[in-house]
Amino acid sequence: MKLDLGISSSSPLSVAIQFSKLAERGSLNCIWIGEDLNAQREIFTVAGIILLETSRVKVGVEVTSPLARNISTIARASATLSQIGRGRFRLGLDAARPNASMRDATTLLRRIWRGETVTFTSDNFRLGNYYARYKLGFATPIYFGVRDPELLALAGETADGVILSGPKRYIEKAVAIVEQGLRKRKRRGKSFRFVARVPTVVVDKKSDLKLAREAVATVLAETPKAVLEMVGITQEMVKPIKAMMAEKGVNEASRIVAEDLLQEVAIYGSPEEVAFDLRSLEKYGIDEAIFGSPYGREPAKAIREMAEAWGRLV
Amino acid sequence: MGKASIDFAVGLNAYETVEEIVDKCLEAERLGLDYVWIGDSPPHLYCPSVAAAVASRTRKIRVGLGLLSPLLHTPDQILKGIISLTEAYGDRFEICLGVGDRSQLSRVGIDSKLVRGLDYVLKAKRKIARSLQASGVAIKIWLGAQGPRMLAASKSFDGVLMNYASPRMIKWAIDRAKSTARKNFDFGIYAPSYVYRKWRPKAYRLLRIASAVVALGAPATVLDEFGFSKRLHRAMEEHEAGLRIESVARNVPAEIVDNFSIYTSSSGLRSYLTELGDLGISHIVFGFPQNLSKITIRDLASVLPNH
Repeated sequence: MKLDLGISSSSPLSVAIQFSKLAERGSLNCIWIGEDLNAQREIFTVAGIILLETSRVKVGVEVTSPLARNISTIARASATLSQIGRGRFRLGLDAARPNASMRDATTLLRRIWRGETVTFTSDNFRLGNYYARYKLGFATPIYFGVRDPELLALAGETADGVILSGPKRYIEKAVAIVEQGLRKRKRRGKSFRFVARVPTVVVDKKSDLKLAREAVATVLAETPKAVLEMVGITQEMVKPIKAMMAEKGVNEASRIVAEDLLQEVAIYGSPEEVAFDLRSLEKYGIDEAIFGSPYGREPAKAIREMAEAWGRLV
Repeated sequence: MGKASIDFAVGLNAYETVEEIVDKCLEAERLGLDYVWIGDSPPHLYCPSVAAAVASRTRKIRVGLGLLSPLLHTPDQILKGIISLTEAYGDRFEICLGVGDRSQLSRVGIDSKLVRGLDYVLKAKRKIARSLQASGVAIKIWLGAQGPRMLAASKSFDGVLMNYASPRMIKWAIDRAKSTARKNFDFGIYAPSYVYRKWRPKAYRLLRIASAVVALGAPATVLDEFGFSKRLHRAMEEHEAGLRIESVARNVPAEIVDNFSIYTSSSGLRSYLTELGDLGISHIVFGFPQNLSKITIRDLASVLPNH
């Protein structure tokens, strides 16, 4: 099992580069860059810069909508990054409606990367005698960052991997759904990757728990109702947190996050404890766990310590 | 009335590998060129990421991105790309906006005939310029223009890169843009180019193709103005019938190459540059196939003044 690092396009590039170099030095497996649409940074450009600043670690976009750009642009941006990283780039796609769009996007990207001349028409994609004139060579694995059960199964059927995010028990259930999709494949290779993202915080002292509570409040506010209900987190439990988030912000909302929710949603503790808990996701079939924001009170220190703790554990 | 100095650039087509492009940019920097321009088109590599690779390996050469089409990228995506590059590598970037190659756009589902491309470009420019100012980032924004309407619209930009090469066509284009252009406005050209010390048939063949692409994409008003419509008639029919551009280019008369490209021996370049300087041109992008190899880039650089 591997440890990945999660960063966001909202981070100043100097910070993102610093964290990425720490990850590489700490022998982490992959840096996943989350696309913050409010940030003034473009996700593929940022991913290119991180690839240029590193030499071994994989770099993934986590995640972008296949409908946010022309599909030919996603194809060539990915191909460019795969060239820059010499095969280290991973493309994460998030849910697009209708669900068929995810299947179409995946198929079209792969056809373009195979060098085919593509003609295709649907509500969301239109290509006519389109082909890539750039040199093809490095494969770009496609990861689905989805939560809807139908899309989870589709990820198993068509993607190269899946990024699962949500409460720990949800991760277990989501893996089982993806497995259903995997069983539909004609040939099931061993290369499919399960990646899990759970809010993680290195805690040095009790007051650091506030960071974990803030992360949990944010995740609960953003997570679809269906996902939470899959693990018994009812709207009655979440509504007051959401209301407080909307009214007074995350700081106040974090104060009303109950202990059971904190334990259900986040992984926190000393670096050894966080590493151990992330490692325990392996029993659900997870291949890679993302150590992500908010990291800890001192993020750079937390990343360094996590990498060391992971090294000792593995 | 000509400006004191001209900035010289080589245009790179992003269908080569990133490594090959970076290698040529390193050579351009070593040879003292002022700029490299990284093209952007649906079948090519992604321009902002290529620009990042170029900036990460070079020290001071300025990097132009474009032509970037707002029909293909949202203003937000263009803006965020340029802000990301500036944040990482400093103030070395400029962008050129324009409608883009209509036939390439149609292949990726964008029917530019159905939209008023110029409106898209103007709206994008306004949004990008406003947001850049709010972010405290100063970037020169060029307009890529050819036809009279685009040329007239260039007043809203910091400069115009015209798709012309012959002095008489450049003069005609400047006259259309000049009446509305602001102070400190830059006139530039971006044209297929082959400046040679030793003539190479392959480079000339590619120049013919590049010139044909530009001429066949020119607005009818421009072709009529200069009497090229009739002479391009057959090539146009073949082009519209979907014949490969390599075949179409064979039926393009030599005068099209002469008018739509910078095609001269190294000894002939100086007088051409003087003529352009007198017209007020301050920026020249030597486009494909001048970038064919490091040798063709060296041939060019060896005869550029002060390089």
